[in-house]
Amino acid sequence: MQNGTKIGVFLCQCGNRIAPLVDLEGLKAKVDAEPLVDYCAIEPFPCLGPGLDKLRQTVQEQGLDRLVVAGCEARILLGKLERELLEVGLEEGQIDMVNLRGHVAQVSDLDGAAKAAKGFKLIKAAAAGMDALVPSLKEKVDFEGPAMILGGGIATYSAAQELSRREIDCILAVQTDEWEDEIRMLHEHYPGERHYYDRLEVIMREVDESPFVRRITVGELTGMTGRTGNYQVTFSDQIDGPPRVYEVGAIIACLDGQMLNQGTNFGHDGRNVICHTEAEEMLWTLGVPQGKVVFWINDYEAGHPEYSYLASRSAWAMARYMRERSPLTEVTIFYNHQMAIPLSAGERKASRELGIAWTAYDGALRPTVQSGYLTYCDPEDHLECELPWDKLILSPRRSVGHEAIKVAEVLGLDHVEGHFLEENKQRVRPEMVGRAETILAGSARYPCDLHEALRQGRRAAAGVAELVDQAKAGELYAPRMVCIVDQAKCIGCGLCKEICDCGGIEAVEGHGGNIPRHVDPMVCTGGGTCAAACPYHALTIQNNTSDQREARVAALARELAADEVLAFGCAWGGLAAADNAGVKGLKHDPRMYMLRVGCIGQLDPAVLARAFVEGANGLLLIGCPPEDCHHSYGLDHTWSRVNLMKKLLALCGFDRRRIALAHADLNEPEEYIATVESFVGLMAQLGPIERNQENREKLQGLYGTVNNARVRWVLGASLRRPWEEVYPGNQRNALTFDKDFMGVISEEFIRARVANLLASEPRPFQLEELADTLHEDEAPVMESLREMVGEGVIGRMHKDGVAQYVLRA
Amino acid sequence: MIKFQINDQEVSAQPGWTVLETAREHNIHIPTLCYHEAVEPSGACRLCVVELKEGDWSKVVISCMYPVEEGLQVYTDSDKVKNVRRWILEMLLAQCPASVEIQALAAQYGVSGTRFEVHDADEQCILCGLCTRVCQQVVGADAISTVGRGVHKKIGAPYMEPSSACVACGSCVTVCPTGAMRQRLDSVRGVPKVNLAVNAR
Repeated sequence: MQNGTKIGVFLCQCGNRIAPLVDLEGLKAKVDAEPLVDYCAIEPFPCLGPGLDKLRQTVQEQGLDRLVVAGCEARILLGKLERELLEVGLEEGQIDMVNLRGHVAQVSDLDGAAKAAKGFKLIKAAAAGMDALVPSLKEKVDFEGPAMILGGGIATYSAAQELSRREIDCILAVQTDEWEDEIRMLHEHYPGERHYYDRLEVIMREVDESPFVRRITVGELTGMTGRTGNYQVTFSDQIDGPPRVYEVGAIIACLDGQMLNQGTNFGHDGRNVICHTEAEEMLWTLGVPQGKVVFWINDYEAGHPEYSYLASRSAWAMARYMRERSPLTEVTIFYNHQMAIPLSAGERKASRELGIAWTAYDGALRPTVQSGYLTYCDPEDHLECELPWDKLILSPRRSVGHEAIKVAEVLGLDHVEGHFLEENKQRVRPEMVGRAETILAGSARYPCDLHEALRQGRRAAAGVAELVDQAKAGELYAPRMVCIVDQAKCIGCGLCKEICDCGGIEAVEGHGGNIPRHVDPMVCTGGGTCAAACPYHALTIQNNTSDQREARVAALARELAADEVLAFGCAWGGLAAADNAGVKGLKHDPRMYMLRVGCIGQLDPAVLARAFVEGANGLLLIGCPPEDCHHSYGLDHTWSRVNLMKKLLALCGFDRRRIALAHADLNEPEEYIATVESFVGLMAQLGPIERNQENREKLQGLYGTVNNARVRWVLGASLRRPWEEVYPGNQRNALTFDKDFMGVISEEFIRARVANLLASEPRPFQLEELADTLHEDEAPVMESLREMVGEGVIGRMHKDGVAQYVLRA
Repeated sequence: MIKFQINDQEVSAQPGWTVLETAREHNIHIPTLCYHEAVEPSGACRLCVVELKEGDWSKVVISCMYPVEEGLQVYTDSDKVKNVRRWILEMLLAQCPASVEIQALAAQYGVSGTRFEVHDADEQCILCGLCTRVCQQVVGADAISTVGRGVHKKIGAPYMEPSSACVACGSCVTVCPTGAMRQRLDSVRGVPKVNLAVNAR
């Protein structure tokens, strides 16, 4: 007990998998002697019915409010413990686990006592982390106001239908007055779907007549603030009126993709060689053409074979329409032989009966367009053939339109040039996201046909309806491990918003611009690289803070022997690989101590620095394979943070290799072991950092430097952004940046050390003494002093004509 | 409090506990394959069988799902139980001959070979479905399931294609009692963009 917490530790025997291998009695004696821990017991299986009964009873009897269970994989079992212990008041975050079985008992040939010693260090670290926990209150989410469907895509109607059927009020924000107009324009986004229009009209009519639906005609979407349950949406007026503001509980964005014609490619001229949208326009206005019509499914040649399915489906629909109405028109669908004909048996029969020709060409050779003919190579006999045509119809080019991108930007959905708007790229457990269902529907999300767009609309609406129902019942809570902003510290710089693409960080409209930020807890996935990047420590992951990680790392580093190595393992990569190595009982160097972290990007440089300050001699960070971060760019950002640490270690005069980033695939535990063996071996070779007065002072300076806002700012500038396509970032002007970065670090390193020295004793110091103590030249020390005097951090006075400096209280 | 006997040893339990849970609480070993503490038991592998004796009559039941009762007489290692386990292991040796875990377990019970037909010499999966239960109950992703029925039953994602529902957490690999899920993981999560293992070899 230190911070008024009561921590209980439970040691699992786990049948014969821990008990005979680890000296649990000895371990218990050590834990009992630890002042942090209030209670310790050995249990055969705390995870099973009898054990859980005992756990609940002990928690209540002893009044425990934090638990550390030393047993197996937190990835697998922590959820069950949290669920089972909720009734005795332990919320998520108040239980931690140490993998005694997989990281200690099964993976080395140490004797029971040595394994107990290793287990104790890990348990102590976990207890220190628990001790530093400030649990947040459970946050209820309410929905105030109706749901709003905006963006104007056709999925609007299926979404509205679903919501009105579930008796949820909704507002349709559209740009046309009448729904009939929208059907008239629909072929521009979904050509060849006319057979679907009857069904669509039924949906639209139902929505039109529903008492739950209100239709408003607005201009462009200009702003969105707030969070799930309580948004404020602003539109411009269609005529020059004042902006129109709506308070809504939920937002569904329905955005249709854009179809462009092929420009001048493939002989496109807009008259005889046209695209699907133009063909549909022609059928609509001029009727079915006479003569030979050829649909060329040219998506392979246009570089997008994945769209050939959609193109051939709409070609087939149009071909069928033509043949049914004009028997004199000859229709051929001309396709790459690699493509599968996307027709059902019934449709094949219809196609045969209608006499629609499906002609394949050899995809190895690009067909050539000439006036009236297409030259192609027959895939059967490799003979060059010519296909005559009067109208040649090409596949369209699919993209996201300018307007859709604008809407997406306002909504905080990241758009990457040349990509569709597929939302929520985070690959995390459903429980980690409050709002699992996507709010985006339509072909701007990814290319799709009308049926799929409507289905997406229904799905998005069903997701919203489910949340609203839960909120009405008072059962909707935000996840607990999400980012929050300390609004007193936030300056509204927007760095977090820029580097985190989960879309959870929004600006609060305020005087003088968008300050400060806040986070939508229903969208945040708790990845935390944004929190680790904040120059002012304004952003934290609640119940999983950087302070907790610092406490954990400090407690462990203080216990480590000279040749032992501290490691952080990402739950998706390093930790999972270590767990799997443990399950298989693969033996590896026991001198490695791994701490669990949700994403390697959660590691603030301050945590890394703290490890060295407190006694670690080597620090290994094991994340996912490159480009496989489950949140956004945690791994990439960690690369930059490790880089900062390496530079600082070099400035201190230590070996840069004392910190390293590694990648582990959870399915390749052998590769993980190779990583561990290699790093632990290297550290043994380097030997410990000598902990003399000078080195300790430098390490304190290192710690001060990574907490310096200026250094963190420059570091933040180098982090990979969502639009950069390579790991760990574009590295544009890498050397120039590195030089400037190095300059900033060296300046701030000296400043931090000067500040530490001035703070060490409450007396005035002279420049000469400062420079001598720090073993630095006088010029840079003078520079720091001048700066700090300017900022009013320190005071300067003169005695006997010599300047003296003293820290201001 | 319910009192009964396991291997003639007096044990006590609370209503709702299973025989297996009670045995483990009293440090009595019962082998399991498809059982995992994090999920509900499903009784798929039958390896945890125990014998219940009532007078001169007895029956063999799975302990992972059998609720405790007053006065039960449970035997975890009787001849009858060992015989059932030997049969199960012999069948498993035919189902998944490549699994070293199963081979080791079989050797413990003195089973060295199988008289059943081996269909796939490289198979490691015992089809216990533990991975699918973990995916559903622990992860909440529901990305994998058993596909097909009877002798055609397999573990995989829908259409045996990499699934967007899979979050690639590897929980299935961690809990798999053999190496089977490790072989299959890439067919569920997709091959990582940078495949470290391939690069190393």
